[in-house]
Formats: sequence, C-alpha cells, structure tokens
Amino acid sequence: MNGTTEADPMEAAGAPAARSGEARSGRSGFGHTVEALTLALVTVALCVFFGVWGETSATFPTTANMEALLANQAVLGVATLAILVPLVCNQYDLSVGANLGLSAVLAAKVLSEGAPLPAAIAVALAVGALGGLVNGLVVTRGRVNAVVVTLGTALVMTGAVNGITGGQAIIQGIPSDLISFGSSQTLGVPNLFLVLVVLALLAWRVLEHMPIGRYLYALGSNEEAARLVGLRPQRLVLMSFVTAGLLAGAAGMLMVARTGGASPRVGETYTMPAFAAAFLSAAAIRPGRFNVFGAIVAIIFLAVLKSGLNLAGVQPYVSDIVNGVALVAGVALAAYLGRRRLRAARGS
Amino acid sequence: MNVAAASPSRVLVAARELHKAFPGTVALDGVSLELRAGEIHALLGGNGSGKSTLTKALAGVQPADRGTLVLGDAEHDASTFTPDDAWEAGLRFVHQQPSTFPDLTVAENLAVGAQFERSALGQISWSRQRRAAQAILDRFEVPVSPRARLSDLSAANRTLVAIARALASQREEGSGVLVLDEPTASLPERDAQHLLSSLQRYAAEGRSIVYISHRLPEVLQIADRVTVLRDGVVAGSLERAEIDHDRLVALIVGGQLDHRAAADRPALAAGTAPAVTVRGLACGRARGIDLDLRPGEITGLAGLVGSGRSSILAALGGARAAAGDVTVDSRPLALGSVAAAMAAGVAYLPEHRGDMGFFDHSLTDNLAMVVMPRYRRGLGSIDRAGARRAARELISGFGVRAASEEALLSTLSGGNQQKVLLARWLQRDPRLLLLDEPTHGVDIGARAELHAVIRAAAAGGAAVLVASSDAEELVALCDRCVVLVAGRISAEVPCADLTADDLNTLTYAEAR
Ligand SMILES: Nc1ncnc2c1ncn2[C@@H]1O[C@H](COP(=O)(O)OP(=O)(O)OP(=O)(O)O)[C@@H](O)[C@H]1O
Ligand SMILES: [Mg+2]
Repeated sequence: MNGTTEADPMEAAGAPAARSGEARSGRSGFGHTVEALTLALVTVALCVFFGVWGETSATFPTTANMEALLANQAVLGVATLAILVPLVCNQYDLSVGANLGLSAVLAAKVLSEGAPLPAAIAVALAVGALGGLVNGLVVTRGRVNAVVVTLGTALVMTGAVNGITGGQAIIQGIPSDLISFGSSQTLGVPNLFLVLVVLALLAWRVLEHMPIGRYLYALGSNEEAARLVGLRPQRLVLMSFVTAGLLAGAAGMLMVARTGGASPRVGETYTMPAFAAAFLSAAAIRPGRFNVFGAIVAIIFLAVLKSGLNLAGVQPYVSDIVNGVALVAGVALAAYLGRRRLRAARGS
Repeated sequence: MNVAAASPSRVLVAARELHKAFPGTVALDGVSLELRAGEIHALLGGNGSGKSTLTKALAGVQPADRGTLVLGDAEHDASTFTPDDAWEAGLRFVHQQPSTFPDLTVAENLAVGAQFERSALGQISWSRQRRAAQAILDRFEVPVSPRARLSDLSAANRTLVAIARALASQREEGSGVLVLDEPTASLPERDAQHLLSSLQRYAAEGRSIVYISHRLPEVLQIADRVTVLRDGVVAGSLERAEIDHDRLVALIVGGQLDHRAAADRPALAAGTAPAVTVRGLACGRARGIDLDLRPGEITGLAGLVGSGRSSILAALGGARAAAGDVTVDSRPLALGSVAAAMAAGVAYLPEHRGDMGFFDHSLTDNLAMVVMPRYRRGLGSIDRAGARRAARELISGFGVRAASEEALLSTLSGGNQQKVLLARWLQRDPRLLLLDEPTHGVDIGARAELHAVIRAAAAGGAAVLVASSDAEELVALCDRCVVLVAGRISAEVPCADLTADDLNTLTYAEAR
C-alpha cells in the first residue's frame, strides 16, 4: 500500500524505510557495527593501556593475571545469565545471589558428608531450580511484583544459609578433583571460564535463535500484545524464573569449585555486580536490548577495569567508584545511541 | 456476493448466548452471532457496546463467562475456549489495541503468534524466516523491510504488519475467519481503501470476515451483513439490501442523533483580533506556516498523512522542537516546552491517546492531573473529595460510559478513553485548543457529542485548531479549513459552502 510514501517524519516514521526497502534495517551498516562493538573496543583499549602503563605493565599482561581474571568471572558470568533471562521479559530476579549461595552451601554440605560429585551437582541445580520455581509461582499465581517477591525470597534464602552453616564456611571434604578442576586450564583457558562460555552459548542459542527466546523478548516488548497473539505470559514468566534458578544453582556449583568450599556470606554479594553487567549488556553487541554476548563483554570490561586499577595500587573504594561510574556512563551511552538511532530512523 | 468456493449460507462460526461481566459492567449480555462463509460481516455499535469484548471472547484471549461457540462441527464451552482452539479453527484476529512488538523486527513480529521457520534442531532459520516475511510483505504490499524494527515504523505501517500477520497465516482458500477490530483507525484513506478491496477479495474466496468500524461509509461500501451491538446485547441485524445510513445510525444510537447545529454559535464578529498568531513555523515536514487563530473560531487542518498536520499541532503544543514566532494573547510563546504552552493557555490532545493516558490510574487521577493546583489544600494535601466530585461531573457532562469515577482508565472502551482525555483538557478552559484526530475510534453518537463540546469550547472563547483525515468531519465542524500539501499551506477556504469532496480534491491536489 502506498499512501505513506510521502510521509512526514512524525506522522509516518517508517517512510524512509518504505522508500529504500532494505536500507534501513536498524541492524546493519557500518555505524551500527561500531555501535555494537564500542564496549568491546573500549575493553581492548583498556587492556592495551594497562599493558603499557608504567604502574601495571609488569603485572597486568601476565598469564597468571589473565587466568585469574577470567576464572574469577565464571561465577559472576553465570549469575549474570541467570538475571538476564527474566530481565528479557521485564522481570527482576533479586534473589539470584542468595539462591547461588544457598545452592553452593547445600552442595558443599552433601560433599562434606561424603556424597559423590554428581549428587552434589544435582543438589545444587535442584535447590536453585526450586528457588526459581517458588519465585515464579508467587509472581504468576500470586500476582505479586517480582522485585518484592525476589527481595523476600532472597532474605529467606540468606537466612537459611546462615541457619545451615551456623555462619561457618564449609571447607572440609570437598573432593580434590573438583578443586583442581576449578583451578586448572584447558588449552590455556581456565576450565571455569569454559563452563561459562558453554552456558552462554546455550543461553544465546535459546534466547536468540529458538522461538521460546523470541517469545520472551516479545513479552518484554509488549505484554498486552503477547497476550493478544495467544502467548501465555504467565507460563513464560514462570519458565524464566525456573531457568534463572537453574543457572543460579550452576553458578553455586562453580563457586564451590572455585573456592574449594562455600562460605555463607559470599552468594548475595553477586547480585548487584551481576545486575550491573546485565544492564550494561544493552550497551554492547545488540545495542538497546539486554543480550547474552553483551553481558559477557560487560563482565570482562568491568573485570579488566577493576583488575587494572587494583594492580595499579588504587584503593578498592576508588575502583568501586570507577565501576559505578562506568556502569551508568555505559548505560547512558546505550540509551543515547538508541535515541539517535530512532531519530535517524525518523529522519529528523 | 459472488461466492464460488462455498455455498454462501454455510455457517463457519456461531456464537450463542455469550455473557461477559466486568466489575461494574456487563459487557456482553447474551450475544449471539453467526458468521457465514464468503461474507463481510460488519459488527457495529457505540463505544463500550461490547465489540472488542466479543472479539476477545472469540479469540480465547479473554474468555466469556458463559455461552457456546460452534466452530464447524465442534462445539466449545466459551468459558474454557483458548487461543489455541481459536487458532486451530482457523480464526485470525487484528485486535484494536496495538498488538505488535516494538523491539522486535518485522520478520519476528510476523512469526510470533504464528510460526517461526525452523531447522531440524528446532533452531529458527533466519534466512528462511526473512524470505517468508518478505513474501508476506510483498503479497500484502506492506512497504517495509523484514529487518526493520517495529518501533522504527509509522503507526500505519505497524497496523499493516499486524493485518498481514493475521492474513498470512490463513490456511487454504475457502476457510477461515478473519476478525478486524477497527483496523482503519490509524490508516490513511488510501491504505484504508486498499485494505477494503483486499477484504472483499478474501471474502470472495470463501472466508468469513468480521469488520468492526465506526466509519459508516466503509461499512456501507463493503458489508454484506451487519450486526449492531448496544449495551452488550444485539440491537439488530441487517441484510445487505436493508443496510442504509439512517438505519445504521438509528440502531447504533438507539434513537435519533442529537443534531445541535453549528449555527447555534454566534457568528464571528468581523475583525476580531486573533488570540494566537503563528509566523514562519517550521517543524518536521512543515515549513513557513503562518496562521491567525481567532477566539471562537474553529480552524481545520486538512492534508494527507505526512503533510505535516500533526507536526504543527505538536509544535504549538510544545511537544516537539520547532522554530518560528508564536504569540498567544500578544505574548510570545516559548516553543518546545509543554509546560510553557500550558501556562500560556494551550491545550493539546495528540493523535495517539496511548501517549496521553495514565491507564492504570483512576479516571479521577487522570482528570485531576492537569489541574492539581485546584485541589491543593493546606500542607500540600489533596482534596480527593473535590477531585472526585469534579470527575463525576465531567463524566456525566461528557457522557463517558464508566462504572464510576474510580474506574481505571484501562477498563474503558477506546472511545470512552478519548472522551476522558478531551474532558481533561477542556476543564482548563484553554485559550488555544489543539486537537489531533479528536474523534478517532469514537462512535457516531459520541462524535456528535464531542463536536458539540468542541463548539461549546469555541463559543466560550477558545481558538480551536483541529486536524483530521476525515473531510466530512472538518467540513461539518470547522469555520474554515487550512489545506496542507507537503508541509506548506496550499489553500485556505471557508467551510460554509464547502463539501467534503471539494476538500478532498484540495488535499490531493499536488500530492502526486
Ligand atoms: N478489562 C476490563 N475491565 C473492566 N471493564 C472492561 C474491561 N474491558 C472492557 N470493559 C468494559 O466492557 C464494556 C465493553 O467494552 P468494549 O471494549 O468491548 O467496547 P467496544 O464496543 O469495543 O467499544 P469501542 O468502540 O470504544 O472500542 C465497556 O463498558 C468497558 O468499559
Ligand atoms: Mg473496541
């Protein structure tokens, strides 16, 4: 139909696209590629900078530091994936950190009581999934806001962790196989980071290339429309919380492998950094929307920044501040690029 | 009708005795409807009469409380009817609310709710998906790329994507039901005409089409049968031969239309000083716009979609950045700020009511939002009772159909939401009233009422500027019309002896 081809920018925003057909895809073109890779390029630039800067050139570009840097991101990375899945459909899961902690503690506990490794993994995943299921059920059946629900379950889980451990870390009886898996490399890449890569690939495939993932994005984009085209919003939300729980359980298991045990207060400290990375994901790879690879880039970016500043002898509080500023600046940049893209599309 | 594929009387879908109640309203009170193969069945009725509720019950997205649905040979309990059942039976819908996904691409929008092209592993095959999407877009002549994001498209193109999605997934010829709930509300005239002729083609192939609209000329043009709802019951049905304008109006409004003539208003004294002057306004496509708007005068802005109508209104309302000199009561108006415009006495009702309502708040809150200082009492507290009283008066004064002034805006039918938003601005007694498509989606009864309200506002001393794509409306409502072609004023005509056809001729003048 052709009535809109001589359209005003405001009244018919799509008109330029209409005229030039393919041209205005919103996802192609040089400018767009640069936009998508900005954060990754900034990260590379930061690495180069810390590699040559006098303060850090001796310590930053070493194999040991790189390995530690990557291995340290595995738990955070999987926790970020856990947060990302519900976030895609506009749901906030604030309990990922606490759930991760509870899964880790229970897995460590059964290990310390002599259970075999597969059983411990099953426990971690089951505990995580159960937490997610409770979140999802209360949100969908009880119609309570997810922020409130997950804030509540986070407190419950944290309490449970303290009850189970009596505040003491569990470090006895962790199989040495697990610990050595957690501290060694394959082909020079830390094993734990490889686990993160595998899980990220899986999440990416499901979110970007399976119908269910597109349904989650659709739900996040317009819930009423999702209902009207016959999707089942409640079911999708429930599924996203269970998936988040499963991933939190996996992250808990990785934490046991990384630290050789489980200490009661570590889990919840992951929630905020993981949210930071999840939000920052909208600034990379697929600007304007939360996405898996954007999250991985964001995690590495934040980690490089922190590691470099640490090695330069900067006080930890300074690096916290820099991290916070980087997060807000990154997300603001993403929002700005998004607006500019829209303006360009609307031709004004 | 020239039906080859099926006998014209074959009933594809029958709804029997559907009931649906919401807190405070009975939306459907025993509605029965039969849809036959090969017919275009117009479903009419005033705002809030239950048309969309019926649509959603047929779609299974908001099941009826009770009733029966007969689909071919299968009989379903309407209260347990699901979207999957509807899909299986070949029912497809274009709902009244925008039901596309702004963050997804066109290709994805076409697939969500229908089917993704998938490879063996269950993974989406994007190349096939895009090709399929391109084929659909070509077939239905939607001028967009499969890769474009929906948020980058115009309202018209978004609607076309939703329509293409519903049409594309129809199975073989000679079966299937397509329900369109006010699809032409945001379409420009030519696209609307194109859609109507496509619908006639589909019906001729043996499908059944339910067409919901407030635009009676469209209905007269294509409907084979008409069912009119009023207050949740079937007020009457007409066969092709019985359909005429006056009968439809009588069934819809349940009596005679209130023709309060424009002549009720005192004639403008010649030489009345303008309340608003516009010089050299530039915004979006609009360039070099000069206007003098006198108090008590209703000025129409005519023009095709894209001629700059909305830009001018948005600029004067402060909602878009613009350049130029504007004065209100001889005082210069700072452009680009809604707050400044409001302070100067400008009230602006944009085209898409979705942008203006606080949908999960009560009518009282929605109405009070722009006049908060009136209800302020000591210590910054709010006079709730006063706000509710005022809301009650506005609701009855504007004939809004709502359970109470505490009902949420989202629970009102589309046309009633529009009345609430208009009432919100009129209670400020504006100097300049800017209305963009004020009667979009409003039923003919309410439309006459809204026109009366707008005339009253003018008689009260407001300068009124109305943009509408409906030439009939402009000619009936306005004192004079300004015609825009490609962003510039091409003509200015008094409306006294103007016909809608004259005006259309002017708007299409140099558009090709
Ligand atoms: N979700 C809801 N909650 C409460 N009331 C509702 C809801 N949806 C619709 N209603 C009420 O049901 C009645 C019928 O509404 P419906 O949307 O079906 O009207 P309509 O005929 O489509 O009107 P319009 O022409 O304005 O679109 C109205 O009184 C409306 O206020
Ligand atoms: Mg409706």
